[in-house]
Order: sequence, then C-alpha cells, then structure tokens
Amino acid sequence: MEYSIEIKGLRKEFGSKIAVNDLDLKVKEGSLFAFLGVNGAGKTTTIRMLTGLTTPNGGDASVMGYSIHDSLQEVKKVVNLSPQETSVAPNLTVRENLEFIAGIYGFDKAKTKEKTEQMMEQFSLQEVENSKAKTLSGGWQRKLSIAMALITEPKVLFLDEPTLGLDVLARRELWREIEALKGKITIILTTHYMEEAEALSDEIAIMAKGDLKAVGTLEELKGQTGAENLEEAFIKIVEGM
Amino acid sequence: MKSIVFAKRTIKEIMRDPISYIFCLGFPLVMLVIMSIVDNSIPAQANMTVFHIENLGPGIAYFGLTFVMLFTSIQVSKDRSTALLLRLYASPMKPVDYIIGYTLPICILGLVQMTICFIASFIVGLCTDYTFAIGDILLSMLALFPSVLLFAGVGILFGSVVGEKAAPGLCSIIITVTGMVGGIWMDIDGLGGIIKKVANVLPFYHGVSLAKLPFRENTEQLWEHLIWTVACGLVVYVLAVIVFQMKMKKDVK
Repeated sequence: MEYSIEIKGLRKEFGSKIAVNDLDLKVKEGSLFAFLGVNGAGKTTTIRMLTGLTTPNGGDASVMGYSIHDSLQEVKKVVNLSPQETSVAPNLTVRENLEFIAGIYGFDKAKTKEKTEQMMEQFSLQEVENSKAKTLSGGWQRKLSIAMALITEPKVLFLDEPTLGLDVLARRELWREIEALKGKITIILTTHYMEEAEALSDEIAIMAKGDLKAVGTLEELKGQTGAENLEEAFIKIVEGM
Repeated sequence: MKSIVFAKRTIKEIMRDPISYIFCLGFPLVMLVIMSIVDNSIPAQANMTVFHIENLGPGIAYFGLTFVMLFTSIQVSKDRSTALLLRLYASPMKPVDYIIGYTLPICILGLVQMTICFIASFIVGLCTDYTFAIGDILLSMLALFPSVLLFAGVGILFGSVVGEKAAPGLCSIIITVTGMVGGIWMDIDGLGGIIKKVANVLPFYHGVSLAKLPFRENTEQLWEHLIWTVACGLVVYVLAVIVFQMKMKKDVK
C-alpha cells in the first residue's frame, strides 16, 4: 500500500465555524507526517476525525484502506493515538497501564506479557514499572502514553502534541523514541514546535483556520517560500506570503 | 472480554483509593457496632425494634451500597475529566463494554460489602442472643441485588452528567435521603404521616424493607416492596445507560 491515509474533501463544522474545510491529503505508508498550525487551525479536529472521535460533516478518509464512514471499527483496530492531555489510568502502575490497553485490544495473556516487556524496554520504563501513573513526572507520563498507544501494534500512530509542556531534555528524549519508529509505522504528528517538525518529519502540512495552506517536505516548503528555515516558511505561508 | 478488562481496571482504580475502604467498609461497620450499643441501651418497654440486629444488619448492608454508588460516580466523572476515555473511545471498545465495565465492579464490591456486613451482623447477633439463619442471609443478599442495580445506575448517571467535584455532592443527597426515609435509622412504619408517604414513593424504604423481610414472620408486603425495588432499579439503570451513551456520542461529535 503506497498511502496509509487518503483524505478526500474531509469537512467539519461546529455551528457556523468551519474547523476543517474540505481537506484533501495523502500520507505515505511508513512516513512521519506533521501537521503544523496555530491554535484553531484544525489539526486536532483532523486527527479526531481520522480516529473516530469526531464525526465529519462531509467527505471521507481511508486509513489503511478502511473508510472512516463505512468501516470505523476496522479503522480503530489499526490505529492508536496518544492524546494531547494525560491519558493514563492514574491509580494503575506503569505495567498495569500497558497490560490494560493490550487487553482492551484483545491480546491474550502471553502476547500481553510479551508486548508489555517489549514496550518497557523500548521506552526504558523498567525503573518506574511499579509506580502508579499519577506519581510520574510529565515526561514519564508522556512516554507511557505513547507506549500505551504503540503496544497495540498500530499501523498508524497519531501523536497529538506529544511534547507539549515537556522540558528540553524530556522533549529530546521523546524525539529519539519517535525517530526510532520512523519507517516501521506511519506517524501523524501535530505540533506547535517548528524545530520538532523540522527534526522529525518526512512531510509537513501547514493548516490555518481549517484550510490546508501547504504540504510538502521541509526542503519543498522552504523552496516554495524562499525561506531559510521552517519557522520563516510557516509564517510566510500562514500570512499568505 | 474487553468489558472484563475494563471492569478489572475500574475495580483497581476504586480500591486503590484508601478513602473507599473507610466509607465502603469502615463506616457501615462502625455504625453497626454503635447502633447495636444504642439498641442495647433502649429499654424493652420502648418497643423500638429498628436497631435490633435482624433489622440493623440488612439496613446497614443496604446503606453501604450508597457509598459504592458514591465511588462509582466519582470514578465515572474522573474518567470523563481525563483523556483516558478519549483514548478508549478511539479503541475498538463498544458502548456496552463501558456499561458492563462500570456495572460489574459495583456488583462485586456490593457483594463483598454485603457479605462483610452480614458476617459482622452475625457476630453481633451472637453477642445479643440472635442467631441469623444462613438461608435468610442469602435471601436478604438476593433481595439487595435490585438495589445494587439502582445504585449502580445512580452512580453512572451522576458520573455521566456532572463533573468530579459535583458528583459527590449529588450522591451525598441520595445518601442523606436514604438514611432519612429508608427505614434504616428510623421506624418509618411507626412514624406514618408525610414521612411514610415520601418513603413510599422512593425506592429506598422498599429496598430496605425487602432486605429485612427474610428475617421477619410477616411477609405480606413482599410483592409491593419487590415490585417497587425491581422497577426502580431497572428504570434508573436503563436511564443511566441511555444517558451515558448520549454523553459518549456527544463527546465524539
């Protein structure tokens, strides 16, 4: 499959406000695709539609070949997300959180154990294995949240502002974890941080007020705008050059 | 299976809050002992039987369920306030999995609580020359199950419609009303008047009376209490399921 995600005319309205305006987009399988935009650009709403958390008002999208309209349950089996906010069970330990999500996705005992061990190692969670999630720092919670999304072996992983509010060291550590996933699964990332999109993404989409303003690789976006870096290119695109 | 996994999580979340032990078990047991001492101090001429252990035991077993309701409502509202439910909404879980996942822990916790309450009542009974028949205790526990459904429904309902801070407040109203007109701390039949009228239209007095019936000679009101208790339990539970699903749909609009 060349494209993991194919979006055709996807639209979302909240009353008279158009949150996402007839979005057309394709995301290559195994790539890391970043959505950039200021608050209210439509990034999170797009992710919510693609994961079945919000029903679109128009258009359609296929995720790994499954339509979000006709085969949402199938879509849910092949995607997972790490939301913006803390999304862990606070009184469960790190290990129990991982086992809980594996169980929700129907893994048997042996596979749950195997995948839990794998995630603990991949995200170096062993030192906090028996700590309750609510006692963890923001950085650890975010790592756990991503591990909880990955344990289900998604084909497409949605990371909604994964490093928001993290200190620079925790952010860099998380970047390394995300970078290690590149090529293995398709990752859709939303972020406010230009350097994050610059460092991690294969392709970048820039959204403003629900519209897709530009899409391309970092070099393509810089070339289109004559900018020296992504931040400059972003400002030029959002402000209409 | 997903619902069982979710139910296990809910039980762990509730039981790992030490306050839940204090209220769900500690408080009813302390009340059982205190009221038994009070009962012992009331002269026989007063003919006040509400604190006799055969009435107090099932009454407190019923009262304990109100605290299970409280912790359920807190758990549901807490889940809604964090992004955990958002993550789960994006999973292949279906609405029925959430409902079973919240209801099953309430049934288990309610059963454990009733069992402990009746064991304590049995021991107190032995000290006060009353011997509970095991069959009667089992019948009483069976009679309490529609009320478990009622309180599960109220817990899910409040947890679905209000936030983490407001849910305990609403539940405390139900706990107070249960205490006042449930016939646990007061002899409603002896009082009569408006209190009796109010008690008759609410499910609590009927639920408590139904739980007390196996220990009584006179069972003529069995059907009245049974119908009220089962009907209210079902109506409130179904309402809670509908409201929870509506809120879930609203969350994903």
